[in-house]
Amino acid sequence: MAEKKKIYLQPTPVRIWHWINAFGIITLTVSGAQIRFPEYITFLGSYKSAIYLHNTAGFVVAISFSLWFFYYMFVSRTMANLYVPKAADLKTGLVRQAKFYFLTYFLGWENPHHPTPENKFNPMQKSVYLGVMFVMMPLVSLSGIFLTNVDPLRELIVMVGGLKLLAGLHFLLACCLIAFIPTHVYLATLGHTPMEHIKTMWSGWEDEETEEAGTQENKDELASRRAA
Amino acid sequence: MKTEWTLKILWGSLLLAGLAFPLVASAMEMEDCLGCHSEIDVVGEALLVDAVKFEHTVHAELGCATCHSSVTDEHPDDGAAVSRADCLDCHQEVGDQYMQTAHAENATCGDCHDPHQAHGLDAVSASDMNEQCSQCHENAAVVEQHSEWLPQASLHIAKLPCITCHTSSEEYKIVLHISQKQEDRALSGYEISKYEDLKVYSGAKEIKGLIDINKDNFISLAELRTFNLNPAYKALHLDGTLFPSEASHDLTTLDNRYDCSFCHASGPGSMQTSFLALPTPDGSFARIDVEEGAVLDALYGTPNFYMTGSTRSASLNIIGFIIICCGFIMPIGHGTLRFLTRKNRKH
Ligand code: HEC
Ligand code: HEC
Ligand code: HEC
Ligand code: HEC
Ligand code: HEC
Ligand code: HEC
Ligand code: HEC
Repeated sequence: MAEKKKIYLQPTPVRIWHWINAFGIITLTVSGAQIRFPEYITFLGSYKSAIYLHNTAGFVVAISFSLWFFYYMFVSRTMANLYVPKAADLKTGLVRQAKFYFLTYFLGWENPHHPTPENKFNPMQKSVYLGVMFVMMPLVSLSGIFLTNVDPLRELIVMVGGLKLLAGLHFLLACCLIAFIPTHVYLATLGHTPMEHIKTMWSGWEDEETEEAGTQENKDELASRRAA
Repeated sequence: MKTEWTLKILWGSLLLAGLAFPLVASAMEMEDCLGCHSEIDVVGEALLVDAVKFEHTVHAELGCATCHSSVTDEHPDDGAAVSRADCLDCHQEVGDQYMQTAHAENATCGDCHDPHQAHGLDAVSASDMNEQCSQCHENAAVVEQHSEWLPQASLHIAKLPCITCHTSSEEYKIVLHISQKQEDRALSGYEISKYEDLKVYSGAKEIKGLIDINKDNFISLAELRTFNLNPAYKALHLDGTLFPSEASHDLTTLDNRYDCSFCHASGPGSMQTSFLALPTPDGSFARIDVEEGAVLDALYGTPNFYMTGSTRSASLNIIGFIIICCGFIMPIGHGTLRFLTRKNRKH
């Protein structure tokens, strides 16, 4: 039986950011749905209030995204390490992690990845978050900023292919991010108990089992730490 | 329609009356009057009448003397003042409507209309109409007032005729214009192209041919795409706006303008029909029918006309729906297997 040890996995700024984002994105989803389908969806009262709410939530999420970027990039300086998959991640890590999620998990095996503050995400998470946080979030925010400044930016909008293309892009990117929510929430329940990871996102602390589980990845990691 | 007939009957009887009992003391024809009044050196700027613009209005069919009935053969040498007809003599219905509004104290018919350049709603552009208002309602002030409740007020005010909101008209018509970049301005420098601007592109041919390629007075989706994708017309683009379907003069502002639902929540159903308004040599506009659904086309119909809520494309909705559904594959599929294999994980 592994010995229980607690590690501080999610620092306070990251947790605050995560929950602002979560509520922001839900608000954006609901108000966005009303903005696109006003005849069918009227949760938020008038069209005007839906637009105002959407714009406000959009700016909050865009600003919190920038702060997050700033924090990891310049304050904790772990951005590249955490989010950019390494060669080993791509070569073997992805397959190993996929094998766990889609096969060995069902057989009751251990997760090959053990999160540490320096290496929080498994190789699959890294790849997905890279796409979500570095491609989709910036693009959806940028297109949103354009859509709230159509008159002053009209010339740029025409240059990129028109208002319709921009609005279509904003919509489809938003759909991709929305599609990510159920997957994200579901995967969060795959800890030792369904609430484990979710509690961590709230408190910052995660229960971690010590080494003798001896997964391949941890060995790699220990080896590299010793080398360093 | 009813107004139109009343006016036609009225006008017909006026003409008949004119033939039977010359109301007019003068034998001068419209050409005679214009001979002097379209020459700035003869009459000076204040008394100038733009002949080209006047001749293309319905008022031209009335002739000058119908409205200036006191003019004599000795004019201008007699020095007598020339009478002017009152708009209300002939436009009683509009007059009744307008004169009841509070705005009648602020502006007369002549403040907004030049009787020698009077056009109907379908022969003017949004900016022509707004110029009438901006003589008194300065644009910057209007934008500021409206931005208190209207997001992107400068976009709305630049795009929409004031009377699309300030009217009791219950419906709208979608009107497309060709706009072009104004070289002298850095940003948001697009303006509705004038006849001469488009003539540069069409050369000796009719300007209609720029977009109505087979000249059948109907613009199909294919013709719109060809126009939008033509690299030679890179500086031109199609702008869209909403006109009220009738020009009511009550200046009422309905609630559905204030809560945005008139335009943004009217649904794709009401966005089917649209018109293209092309400039004519006399400074007015002529409308051509556009194929149904053009403004709803996902990409190439009107790439620069998009109103959130109403002009959404059905095909993008379907793609978006499929993407969101994909997000549930993992939870549902994996979740089912997880449930079935739950015993394996009981340590
Ligand atoms: C539909 C009626 C109507 C017709 C037709 C009409 N006018 Fe007028 N005209 C008026 C009215 C009304 C005014 C007074 C405008 C004002 O005070 O702003 C006016 C004013 C004028 C003036 C004074 C300058 C000005 O613009 O205010 C001249 C000159 C004139 N008209 C010439 C003509 C000539 C020439 C023709 C024919 C080519 C003609 N009008 C046809 C209604 C008409
Ligand atoms: C020979 C040139 C000439 C012709 C033809 C002519 N006008 Fe004039 N008109 C003038 C001049 C010059 C004046 C300015 C007279 C003045 O200031 O006393 C004038 C003044 C006017 C005025 C403004 C006068 C006022 O009382 O404010 C009107 C209206 C007008 N003309 C209408 C007409 C109409 C209608 C016709 C045709 C039936 C016509 N004119 C034909 C030269 C002409
Ligand atoms: C002698 C009668 C008469 C007078 C006076 C008159 N109009 Fe008209 N007006 C007409 C007729 C007739 C039409 C055509 C009606 C129609 O087809 O709807 C018309 C049409 C119009 C139109 C629409 C033009 C179009 O192409 O649909 C406007 C705008 C207009 N008049 C404004 C005015 C104004 C403003 C005045 C006063 C300065 C005025 N009219 C004075 C007879 C008159
Ligand atoms: C506050 C400005 C304003 C005033 C004042 C005004 N109008 Fe208009 N009117 C417009 C506008 C804007 C249109 C749309 C078409 C255009 O601009 O020519 C219009 C259109 C019309 C039309 C054509 C309607 C159609 O269906 O195409 C007539 C006729 C007309 N006005 C007559 C009058 C008469 C008569 C008066 C005075 C009682 C008057 N207007 C006062 C702004 C005004
Ligand atoms: C000759 C000057 C003049 C013109 C032209 C004019 N207005 Fe006005 N308008 C006024 C004045 C003066 C007021 C009262 C002060 C204020 O509210 O700005 C007013 C008030 C208004 C109001 C608010 C009060 C009300 O009656 O509900 C609206 C809306 C309005 N105008 C719309 C228009 C539109 C639309 C046009 C053009 C089609 C137009 N005006 C053209 C002078 C003008
Ligand atoms: C999108 C619709 C829309 C357009 C376009 C629009 N307005 Fe308005 N306008 C409104 C509404 C709604 C109100 C009433 C606002 C309120 O109750 O506070 C209003 C109010 C006004 C007022 C009264 C302001 C006050 O505070 O008393 C004036 C004057 C006015 N508009 C003029 C114009 C003019 C001129 C234009 C064109 C340049 C124009 N509007 C275009 C919707 C519009
Ligand atoms: C009279 C019709 C009308 C009304 C009322 C109206 N809008 Fe608009 N709106 C437009 C048009 C036209 C555009 C510009 C479309 C273009 O340039 O392609 C636009 C553009 C916009 C945009 C920019 C994004 C886009 O769709 O292109 C926003 C956001 C917007 N409106 C919000 C609102 C809100 C919020 C209200 C109510 C407070 C409102 N509108 C009322 C017609 C209207």
